[in-house]
Amino acid sequence: MGKISAGVYFGCVAAATVAGFGVMMEFRPALAHSVREWVGLEKPPQVRSNSFYAMRVAPLLQEHCTACHGSGREKAELRLDSLAAVLRGSKHGAVIKPGDLEKSELFTRITLPASNDKFMPPDSKPPLSPDEVKVIKLWIAAGASGVQAVNAIKGAPPPVVQVKFTEIDEAAVLRQRAPLSSVVQQLQDRFPGIIAYESRGSADLELNAALMRTSFGDKELAALAPLQDHIVWADFSGTSISDASGAALAAMRHLRTLRLINTQVTDSTIQALTSAKELRSLTLVGTAVTEQCVAALRKTKIRVIR
Amino acid sequence: MRNAGSPVMGADSHVKVWDFPTRVFHWTVVSLVLTSWITADQGFMKLHLWSGSILLVALIFRIAWGVIGSTTARFIDFIAPPRRVWSYLRALVTPDKPLYAGHNPAGGWMVVALVTLLSLQIATGLFANDGLKFNAPFATLVDSELSDRLTQLHGELFNFILLLVYFHVVAVFFYFWVKGENLIGPMLHGKKHRAHVPPDLNLRFTRSVIALALLTLSAGLVWWILRP
Repeated sequence: MGKISAGVYFGCVAAATVAGFGVMMEFRPALAHSVREWVGLEKPPQVRSNSFYAMRVAPLLQEHCTACHGSGREKAELRLDSLAAVLRGSKHGAVIKPGDLEKSELFTRITLPASNDKFMPPDSKPPLSPDEVKVIKLWIAAGASGVQAVNAIKGAPPPVVQVKFTEIDEAAVLRQRAPLSSVVQQLQDRFPGIIAYESRGSADLELNAALMRTSFGDKELAALAPLQDHIVWADFSGTSISDASGAALAAMRHLRTLRLINTQVTDSTIQALTSAKELRSLTLVGTAVTEQCVAALRKTKIRVIR
Repeated sequence: MRNAGSPVMGADSHVKVWDFPTRVFHWTVVSLVLTSWITADQGFMKLHLWSGSILLVALIFRIAWGVIGSTTARFIDFIAPPRRVWSYLRALVTPDKPLYAGHNPAGGWMVVALVTLLSLQIATGLFANDGLKFNAPFATLVDSELSDRLTQLHGELFNFILLLVYFHVVAVFFYFWVKGENLIGPMLHGKKHRAHVPPDLNLRFTRSVIALALLTLSAGLVWWILRP
């Protein structure tokens, strides 16, 4: 028979197994965290909704990492879809060492040259931008906390603003344009290239008479009278309009930008513009408008360029 | 295919129970499982593929050897019905020690379980990827999601392999320290002390040249399966 009894042997096996698990947990931090959380020796890290992690880091991980390191896929047994999982690490060990960038594998991987086999995200997936890398860097350096407020970490690049374009309601735009559409069409045919809608979603018009140079004068402007309530931007630079067009210009009540460079207009035209309540930019370079008149304009909301 | 010669029963105190190919297979699997573990852990995926491929050769060889090999290597010799396994396990906790030349009934099922798990491990590994630049030979034949799932299964199966290895090692040392029988030595030199084998032993050994031919065929088959 053997040297020891079965009971002693299996007691030793049990002890060795527990010790083995202990050693294994040293090499498998993810397992160690899970076991400690399971037996109640460790609580999952707290995350506040206004923390730097929640507001700046988690969205980046969500965008760039969790497709492969999330609930669906757990490549390298790593999940990056919660702070607890991030701190738990992968099958190779911790990926974040709070306060220590050099020992944070996650940071190392995202800052490797793109040609490196270990660069993350791999393949042709878009890499993190320098600003995004900086956010991760600052967070780890500051201790990889889930509660540190978003404004407590200084030097972070401003967050990328999500711009959402509203869908254009083409039917509504057509309805807005309908009353004048035939007139606009006629005038566009008569003055090719100088009348256009301000945008795809607008019924407002832009008038670039400068393209016609001196062949555009007071008579031509008078012909555009049917559009006067819809013109918001007009450039008459180098045209032959004069003070005779003062009333026509003043009738453009929704005008926001007016350029009169090198025209014959004088103070009388400018003074007539007081009815253009929405006018914000007026360019008078090369005109005979007096300094006194301009000084009066500068007291209003209009930005005068002379 | 068996050796036509007489059963091996030397006059000395030891008797040959394990043939050379079975012993080589055993230690090859030990070293390849270890190599595969380390290479996967360290990300040496080309070496991991080589290790897994050689393991596949070894497994194909072992399955064939289990049919035409020596007595103690044959599945028919060591796959016992559950009742015999249960009787064997019950006898283990008594002072009596049932005598077996080759695998005991529990050990026989351990071989089956390990061969099955290792086969599954290799099958899943052939479709796996490392999430970086490495794709196993068949990974690109399936969509990436399936490849990822098989990769995950590949990793999970390995835990079961480790569990079986753990039970195997516990059993080996149980024999050594509790039952007073060294099982490791015979797996190295092939011989057991007469006191540890049944008295009416009648083993036949298949010639090693057959094993060599079988190994060549296995390697050829694996090369054909994995050829670029």
